[in-house]
Amino acid sequence: MAPKKSATSSGTTSSSSSTTASASAALSNASSSAAKSASSGAQQIDQVALSLVQHYQKATPQRTKLIDAFMAFLVVVGALQFAYCVLAGNYPFNAFLSGFSATVGQFVLTASLRIQTTEANKSEFPSVSPERAFADYVVGSMILHFFCINFIN
Amino acid sequence: MKFLVSFLVLVFAAVAQAISSSGSRLLVILEDVAEKAGYSKFLADLEGRGFDIAYETPKSESLSLFHLGERSYDHILFLPTKSKGLGPNLTPNILLQFINANGNILLTLSSSTATPSSIVSLLLELDIYLPADRQGLVVDHFNYDALSASEKHDVLLLQPPGALRAGVKDFFSDASVIAFPNGMGQTLGEGALLAPVLRAPATGYSYNPKEQTETVDDLFASGSQLSLVSTMQARNSARFTVVGSADMLSDKWFDAKVKKVGEKDTVKTGNQEFAKAISGWAFKETGVLRVNWVEHHLNEEGAGNASNPKIYRIKNDVTYSISLSEYSWDKYIPFTVPESDDLQLEFSMLSAFHRLKLNPTISSADSTTYSSSFKLPDQHGIFNFMVNYKRPFFTNVVEKNTVSVRHFAHDEWPRSFAISGAWPWLAGIGATVTGWLAFCTVWLYSAPAATRESKKTR
Repeated sequence: MAPKKSATSSGTTSSSSSTTASASAALSNASSSAAKSASSGAQQIDQVALSLVQHYQKATPQRTKLIDAFMAFLVVVGALQFAYCVLAGNYPFNAFLSGFSATVGQFVLTASLRIQTTEANKSEFPSVSPERAFADYVVGSMILHFFCINFIN
Repeated sequence: MKFLVSFLVLVFAAVAQAISSSGSRLLVILEDVAEKAGYSKFLADLEGRGFDIAYETPKSESLSLFHLGERSYDHILFLPTKSKGLGPNLTPNILLQFINANGNILLTLSSSTATPSSIVSLLLELDIYLPADRQGLVVDHFNYDALSASEKHDVLLLQPPGALRAGVKDFFSDASVIAFPNGMGQTLGEGALLAPVLRAPATGYSYNPKEQTETVDDLFASGSQLSLVSTMQARNSARFTVVGSADMLSDKWFDAKVKKVGEKDTVKTGNQEFAKAISGWAFKETGVLRVNWVEHHLNEEGAGNASNPKIYRIKNDVTYSISLSEYSWDKYIPFTVPESDDLQLEFSMLSAFHRLKLNPTISSADSTTYSSSFKLPDQHGIFNFMVNYKRPFFTNVVEKNTVSVRHFAHDEWPRSFAISGAWPWLAGIGATVTGWLAFCTVWLYSAPAATRESKKTR
């Protein structure tokens, strides 16, 4: 029992020493490349972004891209309305609620359309075809518009 | 003929009304009916003003203030009586009932006769206090009549009282100098219903003449805390008046000549004028306010201005008017608010949301119309137009008209496009809807060929 014990203990010590060695090596490596990485970090991020965009352009279907463009448009419109409310005050409040919630609601509906029509989520919605999803989306949007126009008076 | 008769009836009715505003039946209580000779001028004055005077002694069996639950008399005048009590027909309770039934009482005291216990109890009930042992004599060593009271100093010569305070109408200052002989003073409690008319001068005091001591040990009251003529007007506007000296109403002092100590000239007393003023007030010939009508309406352009609608909307412009008359001896005259006082309108729900001054607008021969225009508060609920005018020596005016105030109806709000501040959000909705339409169009025309292939492959 005793030798075994000693062996394990020696083993652990050796392993620990080896890890410290590797750590120190990594440290030296990092310190040596610190200046290099600072300059190249931006480049790496650029590369990552570039590859991301390239991948998005290559792998995303046309309709999903369309949805994304529309959602970006809604974000811009919603931000403008909210900024106006902050800057100019919320009178008449029902108009603010109506305008802002129309944009936000439209965003939410569009997001659900995107979820339901993405190829990758097909297994989640076996019974919802893209056409069916779009029809739901149209009906939901029209109800939303009806309420918002009514509420803004 | 018929017309003539009805005309005569009308004329008589008008004449009959041309006295006190609250009836002409006056009961005079005195020890002995023969005593009325001593007050003949005062009583003749009252009769001349249209009162039907009945004389009774407190011991009289037939005396009853009520008959079948109704008052038998409109006013009571108490002249001093010698008896210790007033008998079973004039208990304090009955007298209070008389006041509650809108009857007016003028009570006179005298220091030479002990005040009946019934009266003392009644006064205590009204928060008016008499000296202990019902004995008290008001003297003043600086304002006495040198002709009649050079020894005892118990005939006070007083100047007319003037207004009680700023903003209170003065009814009692017609007289010149007022002689107050042989009188008993009172002190008044804190109640808002009590108001002194005549107060003792700063050097006057009350003492017990039965005590044979050189110095006054325990002073009942002195100076202006000693009220010589006091009034109490109940919440139903019934009036109770205490005159500390019955002698000041007697013939002897109506035309007595007096000379104030330290002055050279002898003058005639103004007791007759003062007696007229105080009895006129006590029996509701002066200071009686009448509300002729109350009217309120919508004060907005293009709106029908029907009178006294039951319902208004929040933020409506509204005009409220109230017409008031004041009774003065034999007729109604336009009521004018005393200087430095305001007639106010409250628009209240539990508490007042508005308290506004009412300004005189229309004045006619016998009434003044006060009105005020204002915007209703931004609060819906059940509101009252309230005029609550309670002032010393005027009868109380409490007029409460309840209206509902509703909120805006759904179609009374301005349209969003009428408010320029809402245009950005209208544009926001527009952008969202057009963007959505464009999106849908593009979506329909962007059906991917790949899907068909995928379907085929599938």
